[in-house]
Amino acid sequence: MGKTVVRAFDLCKVFQVGGEKVEVLRNLELDVGEGELAVVSGSSGSGKTTLLNIVGGIDRPTSGKIYVFDNDLTEKDEDWLADFRCSNVGFVFQAYNLIFTLTVAENIAFPMEWLRKPADETEKRVEDLLRDMKLESRANHFPSQLSGGEQQRVAFARALANDPPLLLIDEPTGNLDAKTSQNTIRLIQRLADNGKTMVLATHDERIFKISDKRLSLEDGKLVKLDG
Amino acid sequence: MGEVFFPVHDLLRRRLQTGLVVAGLTLCVASTVFLLLFCARLGLGISSIAEGRLTTGFMIVLRQLLVFAGALVIIAGVATISFMVFFMMSQRVKDVGLMKAIGCPNGLIFGYLINELAIVVIVSCVLGTILGIAADFASTSLLTGAGFESTWKLADAWPALLVAVIFLVVALVLGAKPILDATKVECVKAMSPNYYIELTSGSRFRATSRSSLVARIAMRSLSRRKAATIRVLACLTTVFVLLTVTVAGGVIASQTTNDWIEKAMGRNVLVIGHHEMLDQCRFLYSKFYEAKGDRSFNYTDEKYSMPENLSNRLGNISGVTNTEERLVTQAHVAEVRSYVIDPETLATIPVGDSHERDSLIIGVEPDKVLGQWFVDGRFLDENDSFDATVGDSLAQAIFSRPLDQSMSFSNGTYDIVGVCIEPINNGFVAYVPLKVLRRVSSIPMPNMLVVRIDPSADEAVVVNKIRSELASENEAFDVLELDEILEKSVAFVGHLWSAIMLLPLFSLISASLCMTAYVMLAVTEQKQEFGVLRALGTRPSAIVRLVSLQNLVVLLSSYGVGVALGIMTTLMILVPDPIVTSLTVAEICGWLLAASASIFIMSLYPAMKAARASILQCIT
Repeated sequence: MGKTVVRAFDLCKVFQVGGEKVEVLRNLELDVGEGELAVVSGSSGSGKTTLLNIVGGIDRPTSGKIYVFDNDLTEKDEDWLADFRCSNVGFVFQAYNLIFTLTVAENIAFPMEWLRKPADETEKRVEDLLRDMKLESRANHFPSQLSGGEQQRVAFARALANDPPLLLIDEPTGNLDAKTSQNTIRLIQRLADNGKTMVLATHDERIFKISDKRLSLEDGKLVKLDG
Repeated sequence: MGEVFFPVHDLLRRRLQTGLVVAGLTLCVASTVFLLLFCARLGLGISSIAEGRLTTGFMIVLRQLLVFAGALVIIAGVATISFMVFFMMSQRVKDVGLMKAIGCPNGLIFGYLINELAIVVIVSCVLGTILGIAADFASTSLLTGAGFESTWKLADAWPALLVAVIFLVVALVLGAKPILDATKVECVKAMSPNYYIELTSGSRFRATSRSSLVARIAMRSLSRRKAATIRVLACLTTVFVLLTVTVAGGVIASQTTNDWIEKAMGRNVLVIGHHEMLDQCRFLYSKFYEAKGDRSFNYTDEKYSMPENLSNRLGNISGVTNTEERLVTQAHVAEVRSYVIDPETLATIPVGDSHERDSLIIGVEPDKVLGQWFVDGRFLDENDSFDATVGDSLAQAIFSRPLDQSMSFSNGTYDIVGVCIEPINNGFVAYVPLKVLRRVSSIPMPNMLVVRIDPSADEAVVVNKIRSELASENEAFDVLELDEILEKSVAFVGHLWSAIMLLPLFSLISASLCMTAYVMLAVTEQKQEFGVLRALGTRPSAIVRLVSLQNLVVLLSSYGVGVALGIMTTLMILVPDPIVTSLTVAEICGWLLAASASIFIMSLYPAMKAARASILQCIT
């Protein structure tokens, strides 16, 4: 394992639901090394998505520290976090969260265009990703015209567009049929083989098998499970 | 679940959206009710201020602008309401599909949603009417406090009920349309995002810059809400027409009417005559800006006659550029019936009746006359004999088609060749050739001399020279400087226009609220998209830029069309022969730019709010 990419110390997250406080993460500790595929499992509502959101800098912990690439995300402002996400983190949301006003190709290109990558480089990369994800014929369609599996592939392609050093993937097979799930797992396997650092939240046993580190969220804490 | 309970429950569940629509509709109804009441009050106020003053020509321009502004206020209100309800109900199309999918019959779905619409619209109309009446009461109290004569009575607020009823009906009819359309669509289609996200095919991908990317998303979001965008454009365009008519109309009308007075009275003009005649002259001019009755004056008294050759002697004084002799008298003028030929049927049609009234009669030398009146028809020329140009008030008071008629006084009949705007005697005046008037009135000599001074000359020196010349002739003769009276007349007209110019202020508030409501609804709809953009690395400021760009496109499109239509309406319909100088254009542009800037600034609030919301809040 190379250097540590994600480090969390004493991480707590409390949500206010109605008049009640719900403690989702409780003094959580986490280490993910460079090129590692860390898989987080846990029951629904155990805080897997919350953990990914905090690691990706789109949510803040109630207390504790989270370091990603040695940057203390709890100390940074919104603008810094936005730039950080764009350059360093690729997200694949459970609900895909594609931009409905942009076509498939435009969705994939968005992170590169936002980082002001040269136009020819962007177009070439989008073309490659469309081919990799078997989406060439869907390039100029809008997300509302795609199936769930296709939308997920667009979400993967978009997350990979900038070739970010960290990939956060939330329930990648949760909404898919067996065949599409298998394709997704193969894609994750390929990324892992290429040394991509990934933190993945899932219930899927098949993904556990290809993981480097298997963690389970129980009572707000991460428990390391044997491979 | 009952047909009333479900909609109430559903509306409460969507608190934010319901709150926004109710707030938007309430403010729209309130501002329309207020504007209408205020417009009527302003109109009545102007009528009472102008009672016994102002010539009829001025009153027509004032009344036209007020009536037009009042009509536009209602149209703008209807356009706003239609936009809001359409926007609210078009967002429920997916729900219609879902309800149909679980087996709800069309009639029941329509019943649920129309009840929702009715609840929102009735609550908003009631609240808006109360708020509008309260705002009118408050503004009347403020006006009274500022010294204006204005009384507030609840009974005067009846137009508010009319507005509420019109808006209620319009809102129900227009809001029901998207629901009715959706109930006719197959449930699969109604549930599909393609039905309400009006984007179906994109063009070939080309990488673009960051700013173009923002523009791309902004423009797509606008076209995705095509129906709502068109409606808000219509609504804002109407508001901008209203704004332009009141601003441009006010500014142009103010300058044009000032020009009418200035040209009719003339700058650097002195009136010379017997001091009693000059007093009478001052009185006649002051009737334009001070309500006064008539007073008897014997114009035929010989002591008012100007000495022979005085005109030539004064004309020789250095600094005097023109002199003109006038004979002023009063007569009982009568309308003379005439006949015109209908160009289509060639039938002879009688025109006029037998109205009559007292009027000032002024004999002038047409080739030397110093005034330049705004005339419908023409002013007298040197070949005229028994012809007359009448003042606008006299023309309106006793003639039906003055340019096709004649008038009679002192046993003479005069063909009317023109109608002019003239402040003296409040427009109850008739100009006839001096030579004819001398003959028919048996007054041998003119009783007034009008002199123009070279603007570059020292006026005080010239006036002193004239006074010493007059003193050598007759101590009773003096000089009246018309500039002072002219200033008072112009100030009075300016005061009236400034009162009218209050209207754009309120229509501006109305437009700002409408735009803010649109942006708030649009932002609510785009909330998830903004969350995703930010999750992907877009800074909050970029979201503000994106929303601002959308606002700017909507605002500038409606601004362009609205201002163009407003200016055309003003120039072609509301103000005859308008005076448009570069200063006028600058003033109008300044006002309208300030107005659109304030609307834009107000619409930034929802944008800032959207940018500040947490990403998770937006995404989930």
